[in-house]
Amino acid sequence: MGVLQIILQILLGVTSFLLTLLILLHKGRGGGLSDMFGGGMTSGLNSSGVAERNLNRFTVILGVTWAVVIIGLGLIMKFSGAGS
Amino acid sequence: MLSAFGRAFRTPDLRRKLLFTLGIVTIFRLGAFIPAPGVSYNNVQQCLQLTKNNTSLQQMVNMFSGGALLQVSIFALGIMPYITASIIVQLLRVVIPRFQELYDEGASGQTKLTQYTRYLTIALGLLNATTLVSLARSGQLMQGCTVPLIPDSGIVTTILLIITLTAGTGLIMWMGELVTEKGIGNGMSLLIFTSIAAGFVPAMNGIIGAKGWGTFLAVLAVGLVTVALVVFVEQSQRRIPVQYAKRMVGRRTVGGTTTYIPIKVNMAGVIPVIFASSILYLPALIAQFNTPTDGSNIPDWVAWVNNNLTRGDHPLYMAVYFLLIIFFTYFYVSITFNPEEVSDNMKKYGGFIPGIRAGKPTADYLQYVLSRITLPGALYLGIVALIPLVALVLVQANQNFPFGGTSILIMVGVGLETVKQIDAQLQQRHYEGLLR
Repeated sequence: MGVLQIILQILLGVTSFLLTLLILLHKGRGGGLSDMFGGGMTSGLNSSGVAERNLNRFTVILGVTWAVVIIGLGLIMKFSGAGS
Repeated sequence: MLSAFGRAFRTPDLRRKLLFTLGIVTIFRLGAFIPAPGVSYNNVQQCLQLTKNNTSLQQMVNMFSGGALLQVSIFALGIMPYITASIIVQLLRVVIPRFQELYDEGASGQTKLTQYTRYLTIALGLLNATTLVSLARSGQLMQGCTVPLIPDSGIVTTILLIITLTAGTGLIMWMGELVTEKGIGNGMSLLIFTSIAAGFVPAMNGIIGAKGWGTFLAVLAVGLVTVALVVFVEQSQRRIPVQYAKRMVGRRTVGGTTTYIPIKVNMAGVIPVIFASSILYLPALIAQFNTPTDGSNIPDWVAWVNNNLTRGDHPLYMAVYFLLIIFFTYFYVSITFNPEEVSDNMKKYGGFIPGIRAGKPTADYLQYVLSRITLPGALYLGIVALIPLVALVLVQANQNFPFGGTSILIMVGVGLETVKQIDAQLQQRHYEGLLR
């Protein structure tokens, strides 16, 4: 249980939480089930404002951080031999 | 066909969309292989090998997540929470008048409904994640496997795992929405499509390995016929002619045209099948919880449920499944298509069906046509859904038999829809489409 692992774990908790919140902030696209399988018409005209674009950028950055942290934790676990 | 693909890639706009969609799908698949933190990859693989041939409760859910669920990867929950949330919100429209109001409001109200669906998705994701983690910890996720999936069972690891899985669910939802917005087709259904298609090759391999090439070719032939049949039925519709009266609006003449209301044979899509199978999993689930773990006597009714309702090859199971599908088809069609609303709208714009009075008689007529055309639709859904169960008996394939039931309906439906969208995009640029 190294220091790095604890830092990564904290980071993971924080990023996961923020990621969920940010995603909920987005405006929902695509409406529901009938759209999914029933084959309705999806209106294609979506204009995304500056706010939405910035939100997208933040979400992508957070998502990448999240993935990197998870991979890092996985590597630590693999090499420290806790897995076996 | 191939040259059409070439043209699709030469159109800059379309190329960007296609590449974007492919990129998202790639990320989605990659995520399905990254184990969630705290989960031992080696142990999971070991367990997967051990329990490969089980047809357990989780198999269908596993199919929806493209094998990610049983690997306990970061995208383990897949698209399932979103599907469940959408179903719940849609059904709540019947129960809660406020939801119906929002739905009738048009675009703004529906955005709000979508937002509710998203909140519900995260909540359900949290719930599912907790269930999954506790199942994995107690070793019930893959029965008959004794190696611990999560070696470190401390409270911190557990909570982190739950949060991560929930965030993964949210991320998938967002990726789906991004595809809907910037890519081709409906993102959510494309992601489901990907998961199912990913399970396809291993299933085929399994059949080759277990039964040899002869059976494999037979299965392939049956599959192709089924696909053709499904495409045929999905495309078929009844067109009810509608005349619009000529009117003067300002100084222009409006209307005077003839169109039709298309009523599809299979209006409900795959949703009845999903409903029916999830309801049929309930008795098995209850039975599983009521099975005593200390080895004492199993209650009679649990044994009965285990014998009759959990195994896909039992006649009673099939019959119940079939009946449930027919019931849900009618139920779902009655929710989604409201004849009175349609006839009201037609009256508002001066439209009428030739030979039938506007207003109530029109609504009655639409209802009559609808309920008649839904019958073959319901029977068709039931039969297609039964194909894998019959195959289970005939070839002894497992329940994830690739050609049949939910998977084939979803694949054909999503595939057709996506191709149609690409087609529309191509035709905007005066090119011949993919479909001739």
